[in-house]
Amino acid sequence: MSGAHGVLALVHAVALVGLTPHRVRIECSRATGLPGMRLVGLPDTAVREAEDRIRTAIQRSGLHWPQERIVINLAPADLPKVGTGFDLPLALGVLAATEQIPADSLVGLCACGEVGLDGSIRPVPGTLPTAVGARDLGTGRLLVAEAAAGEAALVEGLRVVGVRDLIDVVELLRGDRRPRATLPAPTEVPTSGLDLRDVRGQPVARRSVEIAAAGGHHLLLVGPPGCGKTMLARRLHALLPPLAMDQALEVAAIHSVAGERAPDAPLSLAPPLREPHHSISAAGLIGGGSGIARPGELALAHRGVLLLDELLETPRWILDALRQPLERGEITITRARSRVHYPSRVLFVAATNPCPCGHLGDPRRACTCRPDRIERYRARLSGPLLDRIDLHIEVQPVDHEQLVGAADGESTALVAARVLAAREGAAARWGAGILARDLDDQQLRAGCSPRAMTTLVRAIDGLALSARAFDRSLRVARTIADLDATEVIAPDHVEEALAYRLRVPVGT
Amino acid sequence: MSAAFAGLRSAAADVAADGTDPDQLATIVAFSGQPRVQPDVLRRRDRDGDRGRDRDGDCDRDRDGDRAGTIASRLTALAGPPTATTGAVAERLLATWRADAVRVALIGDPAYPRCLAEGWPELDAPVWLAWRGQPPGHAPGVAIVGARRATSYGSGVAAWLAEAVADAGIRVVSGGATGIDAAAHRATTGRPGGTTVVLGCGHRVAYPRPHARAGGLFDQILDDGGSLVSEALPHQPPKAHQIRARNRIVAGLAAAVVVVEGGERSGSLLTAGAAAERGRAVLAVPGDIRAPGSAAPHRLLAEGAAPCCSPAQLLEALGSSVPAAEHPGGEPGSGGGSLGGAARAATDAPAAGTVRATTTLPPAVHAALVGAWPRPVRLEDLARTAQVPVGGLLAALTRARVNGEVAEAADGIRLRRAPPDTG
Repeated sequence: MSGAHGVLALVHAVALVGLTPHRVRIECSRATGLPGMRLVGLPDTAVREAEDRIRTAIQRSGLHWPQERIVINLAPADLPKVGTGFDLPLALGVLAATEQIPADSLVGLCACGEVGLDGSIRPVPGTLPTAVGARDLGTGRLLVAEAAAGEAALVEGLRVVGVRDLIDVVELLRGDRRPRATLPAPTEVPTSGLDLRDVRGQPVARRSVEIAAAGGHHLLLVGPPGCGKTMLARRLHALLPPLAMDQALEVAAIHSVAGERAPDAPLSLAPPLREPHHSISAAGLIGGGSGIARPGELALAHRGVLLLDELLETPRWILDALRQPLERGEITITRARSRVHYPSRVLFVAATNPCPCGHLGDPRRACTCRPDRIERYRARLSGPLLDRIDLHIEVQPVDHEQLVGAADGESTALVAARVLAAREGAAARWGAGILARDLDDQQLRAGCSPRAMTTLVRAIDGLALSARAFDRSLRVARTIADLDATEVIAPDHVEEALAYRLRVPVGT
Repeated sequence: MSAAFAGLRSAAADVAADGTDPDQLATIVAFSGQPRVQPDVLRRRDRDGDRGRDRDGDCDRDRDGDRAGTIASRLTALAGPPTATTGAVAERLLATWRADAVRVALIGDPAYPRCLAEGWPELDAPVWLAWRGQPPGHAPGVAIVGARRATSYGSGVAAWLAEAVADAGIRVVSGGATGIDAAAHRATTGRPGGTTVVLGCGHRVAYPRPHARAGGLFDQILDDGGSLVSEALPHQPPKAHQIRARNRIVAGLAAAVVVVEGGERSGSLLTAGAAAERGRAVLAVPGDIRAPGSAAPHRLLAEGAAPCCSPAQLLEALGSSVPAAEHPGGEPGSGGGSLGGAARAATDAPAAGTVRATTTLPPAVHAALVGAWPRPVRLEDLARTAQVPVGGLLAALTRARVNGEVAEAADGIRLRRAPPDTG
C-alpha cells in the first residue's frame, strides 16, 4: 500500500476576490477508504461539481481514474474558491497523484480552465486578471484553454501555454511535445464614428465637453428632451485619448471578471462607455451580488465614461452611493464573506430634464410644472452629488433651420488634439495620468495668479456661491488654462469656469 | 379683562403697534383664534349691524346707531371677552408674533395703513394687519404683480418698472411669490421707495420656501428697510384661497396695480379686480400675443386697463404728484406734461449713468443685448451673432453678472437695467 501514500501532488491556481489574486495550493493525495474524491477548503458548488466533470473527462480521454480515495485540499482552506476555473488544476492534481504525469512538471506552473466531459479545456471568465495575478504571485508559466491563451498572453512577464484537451496537457507535461507558441491577442483602437461636427449649434455645450475631456471633470447636462444631451455625452467619450497598454489591461481585467469580455476578443484601447438605464439597482451600479461582489457599471466604466441619462428618475439613495467612489476613484464593496476593491476612475456624465415636464426654458413649448414642483425636482439634484460635478450645463434645443443647415462646429479630430495636448501639458507638470480633477488644493492655488484669485473671490461673493464652488471653479479654470496652453491661471479662465455653475431656475 | 389674562395682556402689549390698544388686540385675536371662525366674520357683523335681528327696522339708522366709537372698539364689543380657552390660545399666538418681532395694528388704528382701511366695512379690508420690518405706512404704493412662472421678458419689465417706481420714492407692493413678484421686490433694493411684501400665510410659515430661507429674498427686503405684511395668524398655512385673498390687500396698499404677466386664471386678475373696486388705477403690460403668460394682461387691456409700456406711463397714471428726482442733464422738450418729464427723469438718470459707464461686455454682445432688451437673448444666439470665442464670451458674461449688469435665467441672458435710449 506504499503507493497510496506515495505522491503528494501539488498544483497552483489563482483565486480572485474581485480583482485581487490569491495563490491557491491544490494538494492532492491518494488515501485509504472507499473510492471517490473528497474536496475540502471552501469550494463553492461549481468547484464541488468539478469531481464529476474531471472523472468523466479523465476516463473518456483514455486516462486512468484510480479506484482509491482521493483527498484534495484547497489551501488556504478559509478562502472561498469560486467557479469552474479550478477544473484544470484539480484534474492535474489527480493525474499527478496517480503518477500519470510527473509531479515535478507542475513546479512553477499555474493552471486555469474548465474541463468538459470529453476532456476539452474551455476558457473561463476572468482569465485576464488571473494571468495578471499569476504573474504578480511569481508564477512562471500559466496553463489555460487555448481559446483564452491570446488574452492571457497580453500580460507581459508570463509564459502562457494554451491547451486544447487533457490528452494535450498530458503529452505536454510528460515532455512528449513542445508547447505551441502563443501570440498575444491583437490590440485595436475602435473608432466610434461619432463626430463632434454632427452636433449643430450648442457652442457652450461643445466647449464644456472639451473641458470635461481635458480635465476629467464630471459633467451635468440639463435640458429639454431631444436637445442632444445623449449625443453630446457620446461624443465626449469619443474625445478621450486611447488608453495606455496597462490601462487597457486593467479595464479588460474588470470586464473579464464580469464575464463581459469574449476571451478571444482583441484588446481594446478605447475607453469604455457605459450607459445603464435609469432603473438600475444600487448593486448594478456600484457592484454587488452574493458571495464575491461582481463589478457594477461604475467599475466597468473605469477609465471611461459613465453616462446616466434621466438622472433624476434614478432614486436618490442609489445616486448617493456614487458619491464616495467618484471622489476616491475606487470602490470597496464589503460583504459578509468578502471585501472587494474595484477601481472606478470614471468620467461621470449625467443628463436630466430641467423640470418634471421637461420644457422649462424651452422657447418652443411652455412648461406646465408648478414652481414648487420644479423646486422639489431640482432639490433632488442639489446636494452632495451635485457638489462633485464640476461642470453644469444648460443645453438648449436647436432651431430647425440650424438642424438642416451645414455643420458649423469643429470636428472631433481637431478638438481631440487639443484635449490630448492639454492632458500632456498637465501630465508634464504633475506626473503621468494626473488630471486637474486629481490635484490637491495647494497645487491648484499654486498655479493661480493673484489677480485671478481676487477675481474668483469677488465673483463667489457677488454671485453668492458656496465654498465648494470656489474649489470646483478653480479646478475647471486649471483645465481651461491647460487648454490655453498657459502655465498660470488668468482671470479670464476663472471667469469662464464660473459660467459652468448651475444657474438659478427661472422664477426665483 | 381680569387678572387671569396677565400673560395674554403682556404679550399683546409687546405686539401691539403704536396707538393700538393691547386689550382690544388680545380680545380680537382670542376671538379669531378659535377654530372654525371665518376671518371676516367681525367685518360682516360690523357691516350688518342689527339688521339680522330687526329686519323691519330702518337699516341705516340702526347701523349708524351701532357704529359709534372707533372701529376697533366696536369689533371688540362684537367679539366679546376672551374665555380661559380662547385666552390661552391667543396668548400663544401673540407670543409667536412677539418672538418673530411682528407688530400688529387693528383696523382704524393710527398705525394701520389708511389706504387699506378706506371703505370699511363694505370693502373687505382685514381686521388687523401684522408686519415685520418697517410699518407699512399710509401712502399708497404701486403694486407690480404677475405670474410665478415668469419669462425673462416679464421679470425684466417688472424690474424696470419697479426700479423707476422706487427711484421716484414710491413703495413697490407685491405678493412675494416667485417670478414677477420677486423681480419687482428685488429691483427696489437700495432705492428710496422701498418695498412691501403681502404674504398669503402667517409670518411663521416659510412660504415660498426659497424666499423665506435665511438670507433669502425676505431677509434681504427686511435688511433693506422693507416690510412683510400679513392678515393671517402666525401659523396659518398658504392655502390657495388665502393666497387669493391677500391679493385684495396688495390692491388696497397701492394707488395703481400693474399686471405684468399672467395666465388665463392668474391671481393677478383678482388683484386688478380689487383695485378697480377701490377706484385705483389698473395697468397691464402688453406681451407676446401667443405666449400663454400674456393672457391676463391682454384680457385686462381688452376690458379697459391702461397699457403700461414704460415707467413714464405708469407714473403718469398715478396722477398724483411725483417728487421730481434730481438729475443734472434734464430733458427739456420731452413731450407730455411736467409729470411725464419728472417720471422720465426718474427712470433715465440711473440707467444712463450705470450702463454707459461700466459695461465690460464686448461691443457686439452688448449691442445684441441692448437690441433685445427687455427680452432675453439665448446664450447660443449671443455666441453666434457676436462672433466671439465661446470661452471668452462666458468669461465676459460672468464679469457682467458679478457687476450686476446682466441677469441669467434658463431662457437666456438680459440686461438688468434699461439701456439709455428707452424710457
